[in-house]
Amino acid sequence: MSILMDDSTRVIVQGITGRIGSVQTRWMLEYKTRVVGGVTPGKGGTSVEGVPVFDSVAEAVRETGANASVFFVPAAFVLDAFLETIDAGINLIVVVPEHIPVKDVIRMRSYALEKGVFALGPTTPGILVPGKGKMGIMPASLFAPGRVGIISRSGTLSYEFAGILSENNVGQSAVVGMGADPVVLRNLADILELFQDDEDTDAVIVVGEVGGEQEEKAAGFIGRKMTKPVAAYIAGKYSPQGKRMGHAGAIVRGSSGTVDGKHEALRKAGVQVLESPIDVAHWAKKHKLR
Amino acid sequence: MRLHEYEALDIFEQNRIPVPHRGVASTMHEALQIAGEIGYPVVLKAQVLVGGRGLAGGIKTASTPDELKDMAEELLSAEIKGLPVRKILVCEKAEIAKELYLGITIDGYSGHPVIVVSTEGGVLIEETAKNSPEKIAAIHIDPTFGYYPYLARSLLRMLGLTQQLIGPWSDVIGQLYNIALRYEALIAEINPLVVLPNGGLLAVDAVLEVDDSALSRVRFSLPDRADRIENPLERRGREIGVTYVDLDGDIGIIASGAGLGMASMDIIGQKMKPANFMETGGGITADLLYKCMQLVMMKPDLRAIFINVYGGINPIHEGAKGVARYIAEHNVKIPIVAKALGNRQEETWEIFRAAGVHVVTEPATEKAVEKLYELVGPTR
Repeated sequence: MSILMDDSTRVIVQGITGRIGSVQTRWMLEYKTRVVGGVTPGKGGTSVEGVPVFDSVAEAVRETGANASVFFVPAAFVLDAFLETIDAGINLIVVVPEHIPVKDVIRMRSYALEKGVFALGPTTPGILVPGKGKMGIMPASLFAPGRVGIISRSGTLSYEFAGILSENNVGQSAVVGMGADPVVLRNLADILELFQDDEDTDAVIVVGEVGGEQEEKAAGFIGRKMTKPVAAYIAGKYSPQGKRMGHAGAIVRGSSGTVDGKHEALRKAGVQVLESPIDVAHWAKKHKLR
Repeated sequence: MRLHEYEALDIFEQNRIPVPHRGVASTMHEALQIAGEIGYPVVLKAQVLVGGRGLAGGIKTASTPDELKDMAEELLSAEIKGLPVRKILVCEKAEIAKELYLGITIDGYSGHPVIVVSTEGGVLIEETAKNSPEKIAAIHIDPTFGYYPYLARSLLRMLGLTQQLIGPWSDVIGQLYNIALRYEALIAEINPLVVLPNGGLLAVDAVLEVDDSALSRVRFSLPDRADRIENPLERRGREIGVTYVDLDGDIGIIASGAGLGMASMDIIGQKMKPANFMETGGGITADLLYKCMQLVMMKPDLRAIFINVYGGINPIHEGAKGVARYIAEHNVKIPIVAKALGNRQEETWEIFRAAGVHVVTEPATEKAVEKLYELVGPTR
């Protein structure tokens, strides 16, 4: 199977009765995703796009056999819903909403890791496996089935890279948004490992951006463990430096975070660094990817 | 949101961290009065939300009322790193036996709060981290386990300190950790934490940055956060709910998503210069993009606008209507190039084209930037 999900994954949508939740449920169903239920406390017994709605995650799991969940829950309620979802036995969670307090994300992350639940986000477009299904908001028209994996910190840039590849007749095995927040539920290296172990993936593209140290740490993993070709683009070369205050971050992270620092770490690990998104087409051609 | 030093010091004081006698002044006369109450010498500190303030001349010591008058007038009419000084903090001048460093931040990679301490506090702390890492110690706090005082004591023991300093310093660490939790701080920092001749500690500086996503639930009374942004265009961006960064070029940018916005800047920056960075996030409506157009157009001498949006969570056809309405109402003459892909892209292209926008339908942003360059040429 592809990484994380395929056409047998039984998905519930949390916040399904909301404006965004209901529209995105329709798009996911049109992409043939097995959306088996939805959850909105207080709206149990109704339905959205023909999908039954439940009051609790536990009930949804019991009635539908769901094993994955995608979130369109308002930011203030995400922590509570996330813990409920883990306790109900779901083992893949995609957290689409943005503006979730870091304190909540820290709690979510540690509980998910403790329980062995794979979670993506927050602020992620989700995951899309071309031809098999999608959990999240990725616009289907840009993706095509194939053997290249994409991991992106930015949502819209993941669409851009998939779009360029598809236009050049290079398909994707899976496209994963890891989330754009300063703390994410799973780190880049963990997702790279899934692609390395996936027999349907021949090569991986990492779409990163300035700040943090995800790419630097992932470079360590790539150097040690990855045998498949990896290319990386880092957005933010010309971004103005923020008016930084406080030294604690700089002391903890050292020189990490700059585009140049990330390029250097990735090159050392044997990664092909792409200076511009369109260069991904040449790279794919060079490696005869499809 | 970054708090001013005087605001952070008030919060520290309410939470039993020892802080100096002080007052905030907006005029020289206020400063004179506060200094009279505290007693000379006093330290005057410009209240601007930028780091490296001391080295930029924003901190002065006055020994007499005459000195204070001159210095206060000078500071209150100064700009520090481009920011006007509206207030100064007038502080008792502490006698310094030693300067320590204490900071608490979030380690993004592990997702843990981390406490950092050093016996070499002061403005050169980052140099110390690089050149003498043995003078810095840090400890990660497991969020499910939580903070306990022994963690601070063992952290300080790593620096080879005696119990005489470990006692009061670990108290301050516990108090600052509580503040960081309660105010949902991304950074809470005291640099320097001064050791007084009598062995007591005094926080003579205070940094507190509150997580923007948590502002609605953190309880404190502070003016609206948009008021803290000096640049009027950036302030307007905050008001309408988008991220806008003012730059010195002449190509306006509207993008959905920070990554796409940065990539657009990177590609445009190769031959032209962006006038701004802007990203809308996931809340595009016709009204929002109308306001985005209005904001981007506030920049003088703009030569073109570059729109780069995807229809995933965003209804881009609605956004296009807002752009079209702005163009029609304001008779916009400069070229607008738009790349808009995803859900309802054909509908979006039609609306853009009818409004005179140059639409690029290929997925690579480079192609759209080529079109832009063809229309306007390089930035001089």
